[in-house]
Amino acid sequence: MRKNGRSDRAALLALACVVVGLILANRYLDDYKIRIINLSGIYVTLGLSMNLINGFTGMFSLGHAGFMAIGAYTVGILTMPVQMKEMNFFLQPIVPFLANVEWGFLPALLAAGLVAAVLGIIIGAPVLRLTDDYLAIATLGFAEIIRVVFTNTQSLTNGALGLKGIPNYTNTWWSWGVAFVTIWFVSFLIRGSYGKAFMAIREDEVAARAMGINLFKHKVMSFAFGSFFAGVAGGLLASLLGTIDPNMFRITLTFNILLIVVLGGLGRITGTVISAVIVTVMMEALRFLDESINLGFVEIKGVPGMRMVIFSIILILMVIVGREGFLKRLKGRETSYAEN
Amino acid sequence: MKRKIGLMLLVLVVACSSWVGFAFAQPIKIGVFEPMTGPSAAGGEMTVEGIELALEMKGEVLGREVQIIVVDNKSDKVEAANAVSRLIERDQVVAIIGSYGSSLSMAAGDIVNKAKVPTVGCSPTNPLVTLNNDYYFRVCFIDPFQGTVMANYAVNELGAKTAAVIQDVTQDYSVGLSKYFIDAFRKLTGDPNSIVEVSAYNTGDQDFTAQLTNVKNKQPDVIFAPGNYGESALLIRQARDLGIEVPFLGGDTWEAPEFLSIGGEAVEGAVFSTHFTAEAPVTPESDKFLAAYREKFGKEANAFAALGYDAYMLILDVIEKVGSADSQAIRDGLAQVEGFVGATGIITLDENGDAVKSAVINKVEDGKFVYLTTVEPF
Repeated sequence: MRKNGRSDRAALLALACVVVGLILANRYLDDYKIRIINLSGIYVTLGLSMNLINGFTGMFSLGHAGFMAIGAYTVGILTMPVQMKEMNFFLQPIVPFLANVEWGFLPALLAAGLVAAVLGIIIGAPVLRLTDDYLAIATLGFAEIIRVVFTNTQSLTNGALGLKGIPNYTNTWWSWGVAFVTIWFVSFLIRGSYGKAFMAIREDEVAARAMGINLFKHKVMSFAFGSFFAGVAGGLLASLLGTIDPNMFRITLTFNILLIVVLGGLGRITGTVISAVIVTVMMEALRFLDESINLGFVEIKGVPGMRMVIFSIILILMVIVGREGFLKRLKGRETSYAEN
Repeated sequence: MKRKIGLMLLVLVVACSSWVGFAFAQPIKIGVFEPMTGPSAAGGEMTVEGIELALEMKGEVLGREVQIIVVDNKSDKVEAANAVSRLIERDQVVAIIGSYGSSLSMAAGDIVNKAKVPTVGCSPTNPLVTLNNDYYFRVCFIDPFQGTVMANYAVNELGAKTAAVIQDVTQDYSVGLSKYFIDAFRKLTGDPNSIVEVSAYNTGDQDFTAQLTNVKNKQPDVIFAPGNYGESALLIRQARDLGIEVPFLGGDTWEAPEFLSIGGEAVEGAVFSTHFTAEAPVTPESDKFLAAYREKFGKEANAFAALGYDAYMLILDVIEKVGSADSQAIRDGLAQVEGFVGATGIITLDENGDAVKSAVINKVEDGKFVYLTTVEPF
């Protein structure tokens, strides 16, 4: 607390740097790099929302892909132009009450977050009584159920055919704007009494309860906030890609986000932000490993998938180098297991 | 600590230097984005084999060398969008080929449309891929045609009066094919009740007894069951075990050696539509392709390799015709393609950019795919 003023100033400085960076990026970088920047922003939001649930509150939840799917479909269906809907739903017409809906991006994004949060509460209420592995299995099952439901509701989601022609509203301002709101919100939450309660629950549920913390209320709250931002990020992703289908939201997507969270450090905000950016950029930057490399005198034939091998090796090294997240050495003032 | 920073810097430098790239003598660049890893890797690999063969056979156009740049899309939509964006911005390709899998192709749709780079799909059969997109074309026919072809075959050749449909609801092509099969079958028989049962399963299911028991009680004349080769082969086996003797019909995904090895005796007599068969070359180009493929890879070519070959040859043919390797010129040329002789048949692109061409019907006999007939487009 005593360092609040200083860290606020540092945060403002960082924000200013990023804004200037984004202005420069938009002016000088090509669409490919802008796309990576957008994805980084979206993954920052995803990583932080998952860290709130898994890292700060200590609930091992694997339902993120499900909440993203809800957000993505909400934004997709709400923002799609009316004619485009007619074209998409050629097997079965879309349900009448959605056929003529065309919302702006901001209300659609908020709706995406709210729908995801409400579902988070509905799912969370019974499921959050479980702990650890049991919770992981239950939330994983939930995400799969969402995917199966979306595959079968032909007149609502267009089933396996997916949606195409979602307007591309997502730009760097949206993706990073949302990322900053998430960063601000999560750090605000963590600094306050709710955050203290979350972390108390993470460290020792029995002790937390003995101190008068309402376990159920705080767990559901953390879960709902996490799913809200997961839904918003799903919406941003849908709008960035312009097309979605249920198969996008498989378990592997959740694991990608979990990877970012673990790499950045459970219960670390700065770490999550940086690891989200690094993981996203590295996957693309390592693409040269797939290609043939011409060394002048010999040409090494490219092996597709090589970048995944190298990427995994780098990850393993990173985890060995810093088990608490590689950023511990850079800045160890946030709350982590080690310090408590 | 210092050493670690040094190591990180090294990685960074290597990564950056590749990002910047080098620019010298300019060949004509054609991008290829296919799933080389992930669940669809098998299909992507076959397609790339076809494209590489085509490059070897015709590596020059307008006196300039042609270069293909293959990027992996990891069978993932987000990666597919990244891959295509990279081809356009970093490699500055004039045209793109890809991808196996309709959902991956759709992820590229917005990007190529915005960047105005013409793209030719090899085997995405979902109608949505080219819809409302002036820069997306494809050399394969689409699901509606395939479904209709099989309905025609069932009614006219097999004399079926009733049919049951078992579809994989998680696969877009299975859902699409079923829909058009049902529509055409009802129209051809003139009986709205001719489809006696529509059942569904999910990719990865192993047990189909429930669906099959339902179907058996309805006693259809044929069963239309498009889906992945693995699930379909299992399904047919279980049907035979239950004593269902009627013929099974399916789509192009059945054309895989695994379909025969998993299905064994049970899949004997199964009939499916596909793009191409090595047994009955449709054009002189097919012979040429088949011979070259056999020589290079030492095996028989399949439909995906042939479609990859056709996509490449079509782009080169268009470049030659319009006399320019400019993206816009290629697009305009592609929009006017008529009667292009490819390995998989005579290709004409319609106003949506979809190929209008003949389909092949194959049958399983003695553990082999045997050519049955060719169906012309209507």
